[in-house]
Amino acid sequence: MSNPFTVSRRNILRSAGVGFGHLALSGLLGSIAGKAAAQGLNANNPLAPKRPPLPAKAKRIIFLFMEGAISSVDTFEYKPELEKKNGKSGPGGGTITASRFAFKQYGESGAYFSELLPNIATHADELCFMRGLYTDTPAHPQAVVQLHTGSANAALTRPSWGSWLLYGLGTDNQNLPGYITINPPIAFGGASNYGSAFLPAYYQGTAITDQGFMPNIKAATEKDLERQQIDLIQDFNHEAATVPGAPDAIDGVIKSYELGFRMQDTVPELLDISREPQHVLDAYGVKPGLEGSFARQCLMARRLSEAGVRFVEIRQAGWDHHTNLHQGLIDQSRMIDQPTSALLNDLRQRGLLEDTLVLFGSEFGRLPTAQGADGRDHNITGYAMFMTGAGVRKGFSYGSTDEIGMAAVEGRMHINDLHATLLALMGIDHERLTYRYEGRDFRLTNVAGVVQRQVFA
Amino acid sequence: MSLDDRQSLLAGGKSGPAIVPGHPDESLLIHRVLDPDPDNRMPKKAPEPLSEAEIADLKTWIAQGAPWPAAKASSSLIPSATSSAGVSSPVAIAQVTQEVRVSGNIAKPIPYPRPATPAQLAYFEKNVRPILVNRCYNCHSDAFKEAGGLRVDVGIAIFTGGNDGPVIVPGHPEKSLLIQRIKSADAHKRMPQESNEPLPAEEIATLEAWVKDGAAWPDETEKLPQTPGRIAARYDQLRASHWAWQPLTSPPIPAVHDTAWSSANIDRFVLAKLDEKKLAPVKDADALTLIRRLTYDLTGLQPSPTDVKDFVKDHSPAAYARLVDRLLASPQYGERWGRHWLDVARYAESSGPSRNIPYPNAWRYRDYVIDAFNRDVPYNRFLQEQIAGDLLPAETPAERDRLLIATGYLALGPKDVNQRFKARFKMDNVDDQIDTVTRSTMALTVSCARCHDHKFDPIPTTDYYALASIFTSTVDAAGVGSRMGGASLQYYEPKLLNYLSDAGKAPKVPQDQVDMLKAQVDSAKKTLDDFDQKYEAVLNANPGAPTMGDEHKKQRAVLARNWINLSEELKLTNDLGELGYGIHGARDGVITDTAVRIRGVEERHGPIVPRNYLSLIKLADAPIIPPDHSGRLELAQWIINPAHPLTARVYVNRVWQHLFGTGIVSTVDNFGSMGDQPSNPQLLDYLAQDFIRNGWSTKKLVREIVLSRAYRLGTDVPSGYRDIDPGDRLVWRHAPHRLEAEEIRDSILRSSRQLDLSHPAGSPSMRLRMIEMRDDGPVVHSILKAADRSPYRSIYLPQLRGEVPRPLAAFDPVSQTLVTGQREETTVPTQALFLLNSPFVREQSLNLASDLLSDKRASDTQRIRSAFERIIARDPNAPEIEKVKRFLLQYATTWRKSHSDGKASTQATLVSLKHDAQDRKPFALTEGIFRSDNLSQDDPDDTSKQFADETPVIVVPDSAHQAAWAAFVQSLFGSAEFQFVR
Repeated sequence: MSNPFTVSRRNILRSAGVGFGHLALSGLLGSIAGKAAAQGLNANNPLAPKRPPLPAKAKRIIFLFMEGAISSVDTFEYKPELEKKNGKSGPGGGTITASRFAFKQYGESGAYFSELLPNIATHADELCFMRGLYTDTPAHPQAVVQLHTGSANAALTRPSWGSWLLYGLGTDNQNLPGYITINPPIAFGGASNYGSAFLPAYYQGTAITDQGFMPNIKAATEKDLERQQIDLIQDFNHEAATVPGAPDAIDGVIKSYELGFRMQDTVPELLDISREPQHVLDAYGVKPGLEGSFARQCLMARRLSEAGVRFVEIRQAGWDHHTNLHQGLIDQSRMIDQPTSALLNDLRQRGLLEDTLVLFGSEFGRLPTAQGADGRDHNITGYAMFMTGAGVRKGFSYGSTDEIGMAAVEGRMHINDLHATLLALMGIDHERLTYRYEGRDFRLTNVAGVVQRQVFA
Repeated sequence: MSLDDRQSLLAGGKSGPAIVPGHPDESLLIHRVLDPDPDNRMPKKAPEPLSEAEIADLKTWIAQGAPWPAAKASSSLIPSATSSAGVSSPVAIAQVTQEVRVSGNIAKPIPYPRPATPAQLAYFEKNVRPILVNRCYNCHSDAFKEAGGLRVDVGIAIFTGGNDGPVIVPGHPEKSLLIQRIKSADAHKRMPQESNEPLPAEEIATLEAWVKDGAAWPDETEKLPQTPGRIAARYDQLRASHWAWQPLTSPPIPAVHDTAWSSANIDRFVLAKLDEKKLAPVKDADALTLIRRLTYDLTGLQPSPTDVKDFVKDHSPAAYARLVDRLLASPQYGERWGRHWLDVARYAESSGPSRNIPYPNAWRYRDYVIDAFNRDVPYNRFLQEQIAGDLLPAETPAERDRLLIATGYLALGPKDVNQRFKARFKMDNVDDQIDTVTRSTMALTVSCARCHDHKFDPIPTTDYYALASIFTSTVDAAGVGSRMGGASLQYYEPKLLNYLSDAGKAPKVPQDQVDMLKAQVDSAKKTLDDFDQKYEAVLNANPGAPTMGDEHKKQRAVLARNWINLSEELKLTNDLGELGYGIHGARDGVITDTAVRIRGVEERHGPIVPRNYLSLIKLADAPIIPPDHSGRLELAQWIINPAHPLTARVYVNRVWQHLFGTGIVSTVDNFGSMGDQPSNPQLLDYLAQDFIRNGWSTKKLVREIVLSRAYRLGTDVPSGYRDIDPGDRLVWRHAPHRLEAEEIRDSILRSSRQLDLSHPAGSPSMRLRMIEMRDDGPVVHSILKAADRSPYRSIYLPQLRGEVPRPLAAFDPVSQTLVTGQREETTVPTQALFLLNSPFVREQSLNLASDLLSDKRASDTQRIRSAFERIIARDPNAPEIEKVKRFLLQYATTWRKSHSDGKASTQATLVSLKHDAQDRKPFALTEGIFRSDNLSQDDPDDTSKQFADETPVIVVPDSAHQAAWAAFVQSLFGSAEFQFVR
């Protein structure tokens, strides 16, 4: 049996260097993650870290979710034909509409970015674009839920992708939740986007607001008082555990108190970005209010990933530009461009991009044709996302849409393919990560999904 | 005169009012349909008078006050409005109204598939389809949407037409809406809408020529995929061999080794199996353990200290039986066992995924279930009411209401109201109904056969669609429709509700008040427009000025919400749903057998499958579904047929599981071939047969089981037993289990004497409108607040999907989207954090501590004793008392040190609790509930997150003494002994 309060030696050492020294104070250096990993699944600690079945560089994921569907053809999908055909009738009955933003090439890879994302553009040579994505349902709720769970079936909610990852890999830092979603969707499926559905609750995501708030995490009393109280509880528990035929789960209850006790320190400290030096805050563009929400989330995401959280998701809503496309894109991009770029820089400087996978994108795309005077409607037939970090081919574009950005034509990637590919990057064969529920083996990719190895480094 | 709305009926025509509510015999409408003179009799021109049943329905409806849904009624052409009357055959009523209707003709879909020559089809493919693809698909196809309810990419869809009916009249381009709209001179109407230019003349001509020539379209109906031979062979073999589908057996009471252990039948079956493995039952549980176990199992609450004392004094078999009977007779029994059924019925008070729309009257179904368990409604009757209550006869209006409410079982599922394709919305809801009915009653995963023949069980996809035909012939009267997008009341469809029988007596808001409200709406709109204009003027004056700041957005949102709020108010004036008369349930609709959907894809139609039952279970006396019946009543009868091999087995197994922790079949929701084998098949069949013999009485079943000696066993684990039977499947002991979330909350409130055991009249959710709520929005926030404050048992807490009340969230609450026969039992640190830090546990600890301290004459020892008794239902032993005393001393000392500066606390918020009972206001169920988020569709969701970071209440005691006692009490709540039942 492994100690469930383990923390990986690497994380402790790294944390110690950046102000998380307290993590090491627990005197846990003796029990490192590797020990537990060697044992495979651990019934006593379902979250014990497991070695991925396949070789992989990526150990964790950060997903930057642009909820509402960012317009690819206005940001990082350059389509010269759009300009040429501007105003002409487009496929399916719309009017082709060029982007009003100027594009230019960046880096050696020559990837195009519009003027909306000048900071992210500087990472051009580090990014891997997936330009042939498509999905099933042109409505946000279903598409958001499908992006997060692999299925748009409302009647049978499936486990979210982070839950599948925890189920498959456990988590390195046992003092922290392994799956954290900051500022999760408040519509479009809400909690099902980070729920564990029929997987046990160990694997569900922990929701945190963009102010770093998590329910019940703050100690209600002073530390020494609480310790006394926990000692009494544990006294009762140890006694109850000695009664013949005591519940098997008492052991787990005893451990959960110690872990909870420690989480009261570790989690709020991790989420308290005010401790970051000013130059870091400035680099991300941290400020109060809505305007700075994504910047704060980016910084929290770095701190959480650094501390060993397996899956972190952050969210910027407001991309659903059926109207007000032009100004809307300017406002939205301003809020995400600098923080995203700062996050990538920060991760790289700390060596975290070596084993962290970063994914950026939306539930679907937007049409190259106009909707009304200043808008674009949903497009599920072709859109783009990008990723970077561990195991990913850098400065590379995979797949493409047609000449105006309407439909994916090459390197087509369905949501199931995206999931299969992400799991593969994490060292998991998506067809073998299954859970039996009601007589059927379920998986994140349903009955589909093809790993697109072209995007691998 | 017009019969289209209630007002017109009441106002009447030349001869006066057509109906006199409450008095059918004085109503002209009845006189006229009964008139012996065919020239005077209604419906005119009909060769036959209305049937007696139809006339009876009309009379009942008028007798009940002639209720009519309020909103939209005046312009409604939809006959189903009358079925809200809740009379015994809504179909009949709908037909009557349709026939006597003065105006209104509902266009029929154009028959499809249609005859066409190869030449016509070639013309279509070469010339017509490309136009549709290039010009129409962005708004009218699978990958995008069905604007106006119309799709032009598949035959079944284009010939069914859109919201305004068929768009093609074959042979008549001039009458075809499709042609009219592409030729329209009005740019607002002209298709394609998103294009600046009209279609080129030659394309219009092509489409016209195609319609004129009969609108040929290839027959897209598909053949059923052949069931692979190996699966077909396996089906036969499984049907004949899988244990669960074989008829119930009547196993003889087995002989056992130790006849003295017990003479009860259940025990003989248990012991016989233990004998086989050479295991012996452990010794009986002691009296303390037993009364705690029994009281939780039957009522979901801990025993009172008095009950414990009495039972310890006398725990003779007779005393035990008396206790059992008392608990079974208590109202708390129905609240506990009703909760089990609500889990299985995936009960919730909102639509859940995608856009979360409240079901404000769902609580009526909740109460129906609790009441059914308390009155011990026979299970066969209980199922029939829920599946087909609307089709059962009722003697009184109250009974009619009760039966209509029962069908909430079918309606209260998760619904994806944002499903933009209406046909898919319908079939997804049908799927939810099929899954719920088949899994909860028969533990069959029929839903797997929606897309293909079941991979493991002999359920061909045609069986699935035979059931689907029953449910497509049924109106899912949950009150919501699907929309591509939308806000406010756009998902609410009053005509899709059932109504209480006294809806006709609903009070009406006078017209002058309505006019006043109208004026307010206009004024609010004007204020908003002025605000926008002013802003635009500023922008125009300074081009380059920065755009809307946060402050501006906030101000605008306030104005917009005010306008939306008033508009909703106006729209819902006199709406019967708004007034609380709505029922979410089911009723018969137009009887339509539906087609197999190939691979479950809505638009790929295969052969039509007539309404029928599963071919897996052949019952000799199964009723034949009459042509004019939806088949729901017959389906219910088929399910509850005593010869049905699954229904009784599945149910007794559920009951067994609730009392032993594990079912005789451990996969309680799956009795298929991928499910578990029964650990004791003879016992299962004995229980099922016995259950049927006892009139399907749940109370008798529960009573027999808890009186068995097997139920009363202790929890010891003799060495070696776990090697032989690790899961205690054969019941050599009683396995401990964790309390469910509701039990934990209720017990905490009970021990602090804050639990109100009365049955609240409704739910906080009943204030809500059927408008999308967003997580963290004002509505959800107010509902969760109400849940925090509620003194009632947890089953009465608001249960919106995805919005779990905070006091329940930590301990594996039920997922409300699926049939759930068994709760999870995980151990995670958020549970410890909840027990340590949550305002709920802190507050109740303080309440209990104050209560203990308020008895000034009591000694500390007595107080400690009392806390143990109230929380974990036992006396502390001497070392425990000493330990607690040391703790109290030490804790108080430490507390004083950190609070010595006179300041009460270092914590941010200090809430002084009123502990004087007289000061406490009675809890008003719907106080402070926001009825709607008042959001428009484009309201950026994040601006509604005003509550997300609200500082939680921190409960701080007044003195070191109180703090120490509260900490001790809280430690008992936190103890494993409290959380587990042995």
